[in-house]
Amino acid sequence: MSWRNGHIHTAIATVRSNRWLSFLTMLGVIVGVASVIVIVGISEGVKNEITSQVNSFSKNVITVQSKVDNLSSFGVAQSPAVSTLTNQDISSLNKLHNVTAVVPLVILSGLAQGDKTYHGGIIIATTQDLPKVLNQSLAFGSFFDTNETSSDVAVLGYNAVAGLFNEKIPLGYSFIWRGQAFIVDGVLNEFKTTPFSNNTLFNNTIFIPTGALQQLSLMNNASIFQILIGVNKSKNLPAVDKQITAILLRNHGGQKNFSVLLPSQVSQSNTSILNLLATLSIGIAAISLFVGGVGIMNVMLMSVTERMHEIGIRKAVGATNRQIMSQFLVEAVTISVVGGIIGIVLAMLTDLALRATTNLTPSLNWRVIAVGALVSMLIGIIFGSIPAVRAAKKEPIEALRNE
Amino acid sequence: MSLIKLEEVSKLYGFGDATTLALDEVSISIDKGEFVAVMGPSGCGKSTLLNIMGLLDRPTHGTYKLQNRVVERLGHNRAAKLRRDTIGFIFQSYNMLPRQTVLDNVALPLVYKGIGLTKRLKLASSMLERVGMQNREYFYPTQLSGGQIQCAAIARALVNEPSIIIADEPTGNLDSAGSRLVMELLSEIHLMGNTIIFVTHNPDLTRYATRVVYMRDGRIIQDESTNLGEIAETAKKRLYKVRTKSVEDDLAGVSLLMKTIPDKTEAALSRRNKSKRRDSKKTGGRS
Repeated sequence: MSWRNGHIHTAIATVRSNRWLSFLTMLGVIVGVASVIVIVGISEGVKNEITSQVNSFSKNVITVQSKVDNLSSFGVAQSPAVSTLTNQDISSLNKLHNVTAVVPLVILSGLAQGDKTYHGGIIIATTQDLPKVLNQSLAFGSFFDTNETSSDVAVLGYNAVAGLFNEKIPLGYSFIWRGQAFIVDGVLNEFKTTPFSNNTLFNNTIFIPTGALQQLSLMNNASIFQILIGVNKSKNLPAVDKQITAILLRNHGGQKNFSVLLPSQVSQSNTSILNLLATLSIGIAAISLFVGGVGIMNVMLMSVTERMHEIGIRKAVGATNRQIMSQFLVEAVTISVVGGIIGIVLAMLTDLALRATTNLTPSLNWRVIAVGALVSMLIGIIFGSIPAVRAAKKEPIEALRNE
Repeated sequence: MSLIKLEEVSKLYGFGDATTLALDEVSISIDKGEFVAVMGPSGCGKSTLLNIMGLLDRPTHGTYKLQNRVVERLGHNRAAKLRRDTIGFIFQSYNMLPRQTVLDNVALPLVYKGIGLTKRLKLASSMLERVGMQNREYFYPTQLSGGQIQCAAIARALVNEPSIIIADEPTGNLDSAGSRLVMELLSEIHLMGNTIIFVTHNPDLTRYATRVVYMRDGRIIQDESTNLGEIAETAKKRLYKVRTKSVEDDLAGVSLLMKTIPDKTEAALSRRNKSKRRDSKKTGGRS
């Protein structure tokens, strides 16, 4: 009853008449709510982007990586150059059911010499199924076919073109690698980001067919750093996963010196770091919200002390403890809700600014905003209730004596 | 049946050595329709008595029956509601909310009664009209004279139509014109059947009262009925016929009523001598 009849009116009047003080009180809530929304928005946006990219490239792809556990005990980090995966593994995996493609990625050393010497990237030997598995199209030309075409062809990553040639579309041009000339057959479209957590920058890579390795008798030195396995249907993923593990264990004499990653696990390694960062940032934002709440409590306590005489007058004309309490509570909630609204608007503006000036696309969904609004209201109720109770408890005559 | 009935009511403040006895077993009963003036020196317990009667304070001992209902141990909320519905307060320092208009101030008691905005503003406006303040509705208290604020305060006290009006020195901050305005208003309210209890230091104002209660050191020392329009006998005696304080008393800050009555003849003689001297000086100057 009393909520409807005057407290909101009184609260707004009080907030208005102390504009500057009210604004300072709100500041904590404004910053807190805005930062929570922006941080959650950014991390959600980045997560969405990564998930969509990972999904587009490896929806039904299982990744097998080499894993050498005891390497670190020598003070050597895991390197793609040391691999436990073999050609035998590839031929075994090719025999599996429900597998559409087995694509090895073999990292090779050496510098390629075109119009200029290329220092910017690596050379990877692979098979014709790579574009299919990576779900990537070609900008120019075509991808080599290891079964049909000769092995002295190459496909360039989008950025490798400029590093190797003066020409923008170097189809038919050749470069020399390890004494062998390779003719450029195609150029891949640009990969939006690196799909793997490993630092394989496909945009900077020169792809050659695995047949070239035999030709240069490099087969024994080559290290298969990764095998991508395409599976026909996503429901078959777990079964194929088990089979792969079983086959590789058999091939490796029972040693689990490899890891088999499902698509979800590939993206997980990225998102878990992001989640960690987001949790940390939300923690910081929560602290700032808490500080904002304490600010509200301080100001409200001050206001209660300052307005003790007013409380006395109100009690003298018949206000009950509950009515006084709700008046002060409404005031605190008004301050924090208005602060929350300003915070939400600020977050939206920040979001716009981020979209305009950076390539981040924060996702501001209504849930985050609703949580922001709710949190600000809760802060008002929680931190406003202590001063409100204090105001209500005063004996009327004691309150009146306070001038 | 009395409207207000206090039986051996005491009020103590403080603890241990610092205990002060503000009211010392005061018993009084006030009937409906009475216009009671409470007089006495500062610190004699007049305000404490009124605060207890108005349910702003609780007695330490004794019983208080308001409208035949025992109220001295009433819960906070019940006391607040009873206060809201039966008692209107007028204070010496007006106690208006400075940031609200006169109209909002007068409507304040109605807020706590749960009356809607439009209705309570209408009621407040008609009450302001009754006290002759309708053209000042949207003024802030700081923009009004003392007498006008007190009139608005009276409107606020009346807006809930309480049966009892408690006024603690309502004219204490006012000049004689303001005082008269306020007292005329109170006597009008009295004529409409309200019970009024007010504290005053001004013996002139006892002419509005039907009963005068004198207090000293937390006790009622005299309780006298008077006729409307006449200054109470005791007040006349005690306040008019008492010689003024000496210079030493003034320096020591001794209040008028605290002072024992000085020797009449001596004081009269000295006064006469003084006036004679003044006269002779004047005549001497002329000649």
